Amino acid sequence: MDDLLADFVAETREMLEASEGEIIAWEADPADRARLDTIFRFVHTVKGNCGFFDFPRLAGLSHAAEDALSDVRAGRREPDTALVTAVLAVIDRIVFMVDAIEAGDEIPEGSDDDLIAALQPNDDGHESIAPTHEAASAILETGQSDDEGTSDEAAPRRAEQNSGVQRSIRLPVDLLDRVMSGVSDMVLARNDLAHRLREAGNQPTIDGPFERLTTILSDVRDAITRMRMQRIETLFGALPRLVRDLSSELGKQVMIDLEGGDVELDREMIETVRDPLTHIIRNAIDHGIEMPSDRLAMGKREIGMLSIAARQSGNKISLVVTDDGRGLDAERIGAKAVSSGLVTESDLKAMSRDEVQALIFEPGLSTADEISEISGRGVGMDVVRDNIEKIGGSIKVTSKPGEGTLFYLQIPLTLSIIAGLTVEVGDQRFAIPQSYIEEIIHIGTDSIDYTKVGDTALVTFRGLRTPCLSLADVLGLEHSVAEDDYTMVLLRLASGDLFALAVDRIHSHGDLVVKPLSPSVMDTNLYGGTTLLDDGNPILVLDLPLIAFTNGLVSDARASIRRKGEDETTSAAQDHVARAMLFTDYAGRRSAVRLELVQRIETAKADSVEISDNGKRAVIDGVILPLVGLPEDERPNGKIRFLRMSDKTCELLYAVREVDDAVELNSELKPVADDPLIEALTLIEGQTVALLDGHELFARYGEPPEETAKPTCHLPDTDWARTILGPLVSAAGYEIVSGVDASGDVAIVLDDSDMDAAATDGDLIRLRSHPDANNDDGSIYRYDRDGLVDALRRARSGGAR
Amino acid sequence: MNDLMVMVDIAGRRCALYAHDVSSVIELGDVTPVPRTPDFIAGITAMRSQTMTVIDCRLALGLDTNDFPTDDRAAVVTVGNHPYALVVDRIDDITTSSSEPGTVSGGFGPEWTRITTGMTETASGPALLIDLAKLIEGPESFGQAA
Repeated sequence: MDDLLADFVAETREMLEASEGEIIAWEADPADRARLDTIFRFVHTVKGNCGFFDFPRLAGLSHAAEDALSDVRAGRREPDTALVTAVLAVIDRIVFMVDAIEAGDEIPEGSDDDLIAALQPNDDGHESIAPTHEAASAILETGQSDDEGTSDEAAPRRAEQNSGVQRSIRLPVDLLDRVMSGVSDMVLARNDLAHRLREAGNQPTIDGPFERLTTILSDVRDAITRMRMQRIETLFGALPRLVRDLSSELGKQVMIDLEGGDVELDREMIETVRDPLTHIIRNAIDHGIEMPSDRLAMGKREIGMLSIAARQSGNKISLVVTDDGRGLDAERIGAKAVSSGLVTESDLKAMSRDEVQALIFEPGLSTADEISEISGRGVGMDVVRDNIEKIGGSIKVTSKPGEGTLFYLQIPLTLSIIAGLTVEVGDQRFAIPQSYIEEIIHIGTDSIDYTKVGDTALVTFRGLRTPCLSLADVLGLEHSVAEDDYTMVLLRLASGDLFALAVDRIHSHGDLVVKPLSPSVMDTNLYGGTTLLDDGNPILVLDLPLIAFTNGLVSDARASIRRKGEDETTSAAQDHVARAMLFTDYAGRRSAVRLELVQRIETAKADSVEISDNGKRAVIDGVILPLVGLPEDERPNGKIRFLRMSDKTCELLYAVREVDDAVELNSELKPVADDPLIEALTLIEGQTVALLDGHELFARYGEPPEETAKPTCHLPDTDWARTILGPLVSAAGYEIVSGVDASGDVAIVLDDSDMDAAATDGDLIRLRSHPDANNDDGSIYRYDRDGLVDALRRARSGGAR
Repeated sequence: MNDLMVMVDIAGRRCALYAHDVSSVIELGDVTPVPRTPDFIAGITAMRSQTMTVIDCRLALGLDTNDFPTDDRAAVVTVGNHPYALVVDRIDDITTSSSEPGTVSGGFGPEWTRITTGMTETASGPALLIDLAKLIEGPESFGQAA
């Protein structure tokens, strides 16, 4: 049953329940005006709702009843028992039909003329009242007997059908909220309990039930979260009407296309998005879409298209609003921005078209020359952006002149539970919503440069000079660690502004149930809410956009452009001064490799290295990579360090004895002729260092990571092979195939299997069932794990050849 | 008249709260301080996973804390949908009021006048009836108003 219909049924029933008492009371006293009104409203609503659906019988009935009742209300007719009876009969019939609709049946064929006729006033006066009454009750009885006649079959059928149909009830939102906060509290109480149990140590009698409680609770929480969710349809529902009204008011023709109405969103979130979305639509129709004649002249369809699509991607919902109107006028926006002092002429010249377009989100910019009824002047796109950002979302715009505009909104799924990070400063903890966090860097490392310029701190990270706030300063606390021991949390605001927040240390991250704070605490403009730690103590959630704003870190348009310029110059400078990773290789040579090539530094056990005819390889994170830099005949012991290098497609490992430092290559590079693997020699801190030639290195040894091309292994089709052998084989990096027709790069056969010719083009591994059987056929005992793994590895390096 | 009152002492003075405003009396556990808030906001605390703002009533009146020690119990009241825990000298008893709140000639002094709706007679003597909304506003807004 579709949702609208279900709503209709639910509403009708609800009203009926509410007015049942009234109907009885009205029967007792037909002159009672208030009761009459209630019943009138009921039939009126039913009539109105029927208009949406194709229920001619229902519509006819309710219409007739409404007519009769409105006569009474207007005083044209005196209510009498005949009328009351007839109306009651009509209501009964409506209920009967609604039942049928709910059960998903066709409304039975039949005529309601009898009932409708009974509603007609009888002009003959008093004498006929009795007969009419009789007739009405007769009808009523037939109606009922009809009911009863079918009820024997109908009742079980209905019940049966109901089990298939989703039953729904309506609940007050308050109640839902209470249940929801109750469950959040339960989660917190559970966390508290978990904490205490951990402290008390292992207690099997308690741990079991506690585990169960945990599972149940997480189930309930899931269900509750879903309860909170609402299809975005409820938001979309009102839009066609809005578009119709607006376009006809403006003499335009606009068609709206809605997509993704089944995407579910937090109920509160839907409410928050409603206004911004409406505003964007108003703008699109008012300013974006042209008059029909203009459109025709431009070779477009007369009817403008406005399309709104919702998608869920991860824990975000993206909403895309596109129109095929005239697009944003970058020149006008630019001119306006200059004239209102938002940017300077020269800034504007340096800006890309997208940047200029993004200016529409700046306060004080409206390109509408005339103040229109529709978009007005007061509330602009800046408010839209503020509102979207307030809930942790983002908004972008792109547009092509003459072709249309696209708004791209991203909004988080839910408001109240967010992923967050706990940081510590002084001896206090605070939470930061995860969505802002770009990166976490410890200041002791070399990848980050921390300087003080006047009283302002700056960090330079990856060539970006970023303003830095000390959380202790912001909050008026004292850092408990020295300045060079801070941890920097790089934060990116929805506006794109980047800044670093210095904290003492990072604690943990997890889901935070955010609760509101009292107004007196909110007045500090520092906190967005509070959340409880596992131990039940509350901590404050930082309101980062607000903190950034009060500290002057949120750009107006001008600042962000200036900063962009800076970025470019610093990154240009970055290109100019190349950086390299300094290390000592296994031959004891001090060498360096360009930093861009190094993906990360890996440490692995020596036995992960495997030497075969065509070179060395090592397994890192389940990926087999070519290995360079180990001496020919030496097999190192213990652990080996590698530089994992990548040219974006191929990767290789370079074994190093010691990793030194990242340095700048600012001395002269002297090319070397005799060793092709060395690009040049250079001086670093007064020592000669050989700079590896990345090109030659990758040309010789680069290989795409093995993982992408997993070899296949054919296994016999037995339970033992599937359940015992299979996991071992896939752990060795093979994909398993089986079956008669399949063929693998490697095949394993059992000596008790009747399959002689194994399905493979490559190596064949034979397994035997007895440990001490004859070893001449090269078979491996089937529980000789090492032998088997070794054979698989050999086969793999063969297969990779 | 004849309302139930929770009698508390604030800075040595006898005060009364309407009993139906006080949802519970709690043992105050750890209070997380909230940096950059006015003094009278002692911090936030959680009780049965409900977070509440802790108000030091002495400071909310602009009085010195040293002179009047408090005990570790706090009265929980809800103002504007937010729960607050009021730290007072001590929480005494529940009595009934025997008069409508009224004023006395000469007033109660500016600090006290701001946070009270008047004096009420109770079974355990006269007490100032606290205006909760005014109390949690703290002395700042008083300063602004003056």
